[in-house]
Amino acid sequence: MQTKITKIDRCKPELLEIHCHSISDEVREIVAFVKSRQGQLTGTADERQYEIAVADIFYIESVDNKVFLYTRDKVYETKQKLYELEEMLKEKRFLRVSKSTLLNLMKVNSIKPSLNSRFTAVLFSGEQVVITRKYVPELKKALKGEI
Amino acid sequence: MTIKEFILSRIQLFFLLVTLILVASAILGAIYDPDKELRFYHLFSPVILAACCVLPTCATYFKKEPTVKQYIFRQMIELALIEAVVMMLITPPAEIEKWLFYIVLGVVIAVIYLLAMVMMWLQKVQQSKRLTEQLKVLQQSE
Repeated sequence: MQTKITKIDRCKPELLEIHCHSISDEVREIVAFVKSRQGQLTGTADERQYEIAVADIFYIESVDNKVFLYTRDKVYETKQKLYELEEMLKEKRFLRVSKSTLLNLMKVNSIKPSLNSRFTAVLFSGEQVVITRKYVPELKKALKGEI
Repeated sequence: MTIKEFILSRIQLFFLLVTLILVASAILGAIYDPDKELRFYHLFSPVILAACCVLPTCATYFKKEPTVKQYIFRQMIELALIEAVVMMLITPPAEIEKWLFYIVLGVVIAVIYLLAMVMMWLQKVQQSKRLTEQLKVLQQSE
């Protein structure tokens, strides 16, 4: 795929147009990346597609090779892989807290200890997300603003 | 849990046990044999005993993170190993019935172990509080 960038006047709206033979996974990935940069992700629920604001997502979980976006009261499935989302949402205060979960730090109300040497994040929605020991050093760095 | 984390947790357990064994010895000594005089080398006893308690617990190491059930089971094995080691190391005094001595010793060890666990838990609670405070600062800065 060739890329072409044209500078335009400030008065005109910015536009990213993709000319492709078919809407492949690669194209979808590019679109998803651009949307995530603009603070949106695409997800499906009840066989309908939605644009979800990244700021509304509490956490993202991978279950049986499917990735789900959890908002306060709804769950959406996304085609994107967890590692792709991790990379995309790094700057949006999303952090990997277990092998299968990305957590939005802005939606965490408190952190409490768990019996089996883990921590648990209590979200503003009341849900609880497990933070495994392996990811605690990363969490500490993120909270100190070192990441 | 990495080996480094496990070793650190064992060192933490060791120092907690040293303190608690010392306290338990002082209390039991004051109750049962308050007139006994000790020599300086006796101060090594809690250290040696704690080291002997911690070493067998290394058998409970596993790399994969345990579930709550596995964790509780692991703690029970640890306690059983500590009880076994201490009972092998300490011989009952002649004036006390053997069975009574071992029951009391077993209870004392269990109490010390539980106190050590409670202290480690409180430390985690403190750590959680610190993390929550840092989280609030981060959220307010956005």
